[in-house]
Amino acid sequence: MQRHDVVVVGAGLAGQRAALAAVEAGRDVALVSKLHPLRSHSGAAQGGINAAISKEDSVESHIYDTVKGSDYLGDQDAIEFFCERAGPIVVEMEHYGTIFNRAPDGSLARRAFGGAGFPRTIYAADRTGLALLQALWERLGTEDFTLYEEWDLTQLVVREGRVQGIVAFDRRSGQFEEIASSSVVIATGPFGRIYPKTTNAHTCTGDGTAVAYAAGAQLKDMEFVQFHPTALLETGILITEGARGEGGILKNALGERFMSKYAPHVLELASRDVVSRAIVTEVAEGRGFSGPYGGYVHLELMHLGKEKVLSRLQEIVDFSRHFAGIDPVTEPIPVYPAQHYMMGGISTDRHGQASIPGLFAAGEAACVSIHGANRLGANSLLETLVFGKEAGDAAAAHATKAPAPKMPASDLEAAVAPLRAWSSRPDGEDPSALRTEMQQIMGQYVGIYRTEAELLEGLKRLRAVKARFQRIRVVDQSKAYNLNLTDALETGHMLELAETIVVGAYARTESRGAHFRTDYPKRDDARWMKHTIATRSDAGPVLTYTPVAYTRWEPKERVY
Amino acid sequence: MSETIDAQFDVYRFDPAKDARPHYATYRLALPAHTPVLSALLQIRAETDPSLTLRYSCRSAICGSCAMQVNSKSRLACETQIGPEMERHGRIVVEPMRNQAVLRDLVVDQSPFWRQYQQIAPHLILDPTRPMPEGRETPMTPEQVDRFKETPRCIACAACYSACPAVEADPAFPGPMALAKLYRFVVDPRDTATQDRLVRIQTEGLWLCLRCHLCTEACPKDVRPSERIRDLKELAIGAQGGTENGSRHAIGFKENIREGGLLNELKLVRQTSGVGGMVAQLPQGLRIWRKKPEITKKPPRIEGADEVEKIYEALDRPKEGS
Repeated sequence: MQRHDVVVVGAGLAGQRAALAAVEAGRDVALVSKLHPLRSHSGAAQGGINAAISKEDSVESHIYDTVKGSDYLGDQDAIEFFCERAGPIVVEMEHYGTIFNRAPDGSLARRAFGGAGFPRTIYAADRTGLALLQALWERLGTEDFTLYEEWDLTQLVVREGRVQGIVAFDRRSGQFEEIASSSVVIATGPFGRIYPKTTNAHTCTGDGTAVAYAAGAQLKDMEFVQFHPTALLETGILITEGARGEGGILKNALGERFMSKYAPHVLELASRDVVSRAIVTEVAEGRGFSGPYGGYVHLELMHLGKEKVLSRLQEIVDFSRHFAGIDPVTEPIPVYPAQHYMMGGISTDRHGQASIPGLFAAGEAACVSIHGANRLGANSLLETLVFGKEAGDAAAAHATKAPAPKMPASDLEAAVAPLRAWSSRPDGEDPSALRTEMQQIMGQYVGIYRTEAELLEGLKRLRAVKARFQRIRVVDQSKAYNLNLTDALETGHMLELAETIVVGAYARTESRGAHFRTDYPKRDDARWMKHTIATRSDAGPVLTYTPVAYTRWEPKERVY
Repeated sequence: MSETIDAQFDVYRFDPAKDARPHYATYRLALPAHTPVLSALLQIRAETDPSLTLRYSCRSAICGSCAMQVNSKSRLACETQIGPEMERHGRIVVEPMRNQAVLRDLVVDQSPFWRQYQQIAPHLILDPTRPMPEGRETPMTPEQVDRFKETPRCIACAACYSACPAVEADPAFPGPMALAKLYRFVVDPRDTATQDRLVRIQTEGLWLCLRCHLCTEACPKDVRPSERIRDLKELAIGAQGGTENGSRHAIGFKENIREGGLLNELKLVRQTSGVGGMVAQLPQGLRIWRKKPEITKKPPRIEGADEVEKIYEALDRPKEGS
């Protein structure tokens, strides 16, 4: 058994930032990840990171945009805390070595982004996540900590009402191991693979969120699922909002710049939920293009000129060429919305503290909440750093005062025994097949537009798949790199989380941000200005509600 | 949508715990021609054989997980389409990357690759007497950002490492990725260890590069590692002059040919290794002399040697705009 002061699970930006904070606080830190840290999905973030650093801009304006973008479901005190820390933490990343684009005067260059009243998105071409991930990993590499690379998280051990450590599976050796720790930070990122079409990597399966939920942690606002307006049609590969920030426009099959109907003031730069619904509506009403991969609209960059497109949107050019056979310098890009971001996650306070003592969470795995019902573009990279640091600091502080963790050997046996059954069954359900069924259910019944009847049908079907998961079978009998076992673990995790999304969406009889009920098309502040809390029970998620924190901004109708 | 083709995949399979030796498993799938190799492999995992083992994550050429050999070229499986491969080779042979031990099927041990990357000190080294501006960014012009060239695009996929014959020949060679990463720190105006980095790398493998450019051919992100290695060599000579065999060889080569248009091989040995080095290499020299006695003679001045001189003069003139 291993033992550390602080265990961070997930090594993207949030996990690495948490690990750095805990190491700097003098703790013995373990960083556990199913991928090499440089392969984390943070590296796929394209457009940029928000910070009001310009003299003409203000933190106040960033706070307001975020509150409005959240459709007034974000906690305003947390949003203030978040935006106030943006400038310093971006400058810190610059000092760690991040190569950002620069303005002619040598300052950090900025671009426009959706839902923002000022161009405050700092960027590194269209690979801002990669630039930050490299710089942070290289900075963290100068410190002393233990990396558990290619380990799958299988259990969070909670006893006597507090965290005692984790159980994880070392892919290389094929062994299950315990890591005892009184402080565990979950930073395992998103779970977009619940959906059939997503911008998320194959590995975004919400392992940490699911394992925390199974151990009794509260999840918050799970029904709020962001669909990015512009993904490549067949694959769901992301085309950054930066493409529209640089002047890209959307057109339907009639050649109309249709966003003028939906967001007359800011057109393509309305917030993501608004643009995604507009595209779906255009296609549904027969004004889209159609092809073998379904309906779509055009994203045009041709008018920006070759030089600008090639210098600011280099990766987009490559993606379009390689994955869609399109040259954006001369042709429009066919796009359609795809699942992109989970506003919901492990419920935490602004210091990453979750509902179980010793459990912390940060980044997309967590829900503070600052994004409320809809996240603004370029606020998620910022979230990873601000709350990664907070969670790392808090976990380090907790480790000094918490009693030593207790993990008897029976814990490991109890955690592993059910998984052994998966491999010893002579027959049973196939993890890949169940995963595909779950994705199809979520795509069909729990998408951008939702109704009571569809959600009920989705829930019924999802629970049927969940029941079949009880008879999951792992065929591969080898120890090293048994991805078949990983498939099964991930599918089990996603099924639990998918259920909380559907149940939350069914209960919320209003439309707010990314959650749109065609049977309840209006926001209902009187009844629904509150966070959904989901807690696990054997019969399914139990929902309770907590109030939204207000400071200064009265809810108004959201117009872009 | 492209036309559907019948594709044959011959996939390297090896589980060291069970198999005495590797074998190839053949899978046949009908797929659209633009299907990425990765999608095909995942389909095989989902429908035919869940024990097929590989690394993958983003499927959009940004995480660097799925580098492997496709028809003997180091590629990202996610951005290699099956159509052109079938057209050119009639089948798609999928193998693990080279220069790294196979752990299972297409999964290789990358720890030596990561170690080499750490060896070049891939982080800003700061001079405590020159602190960064407090509370604000270090000023950097767009021109300074341009000096990084394409190195920030590197996704550490190790395709270059797999393709590199110098890595195969000499474990002391840091490899193309690590050297491209070193270039990224050498040209960083914030870094204060430029001189030390350039001096150190001269004896830590810089001159072991064979200049074959296979890394540049393999790189999926256009980082062009071999060109960055060339840049590093120029900068290293600029920083230290010809103080090490590799740099003296490069300088000597240039001056040597300038004299009459042909290489004076004996002189090049002296230029590179000095008189002491010549003495040390005497046995080898004698062996060559027996086969090729003319090696001791100064080569004749070629016809048109004046033109050679003009080429040198043109090359030495400062480039426009630099």
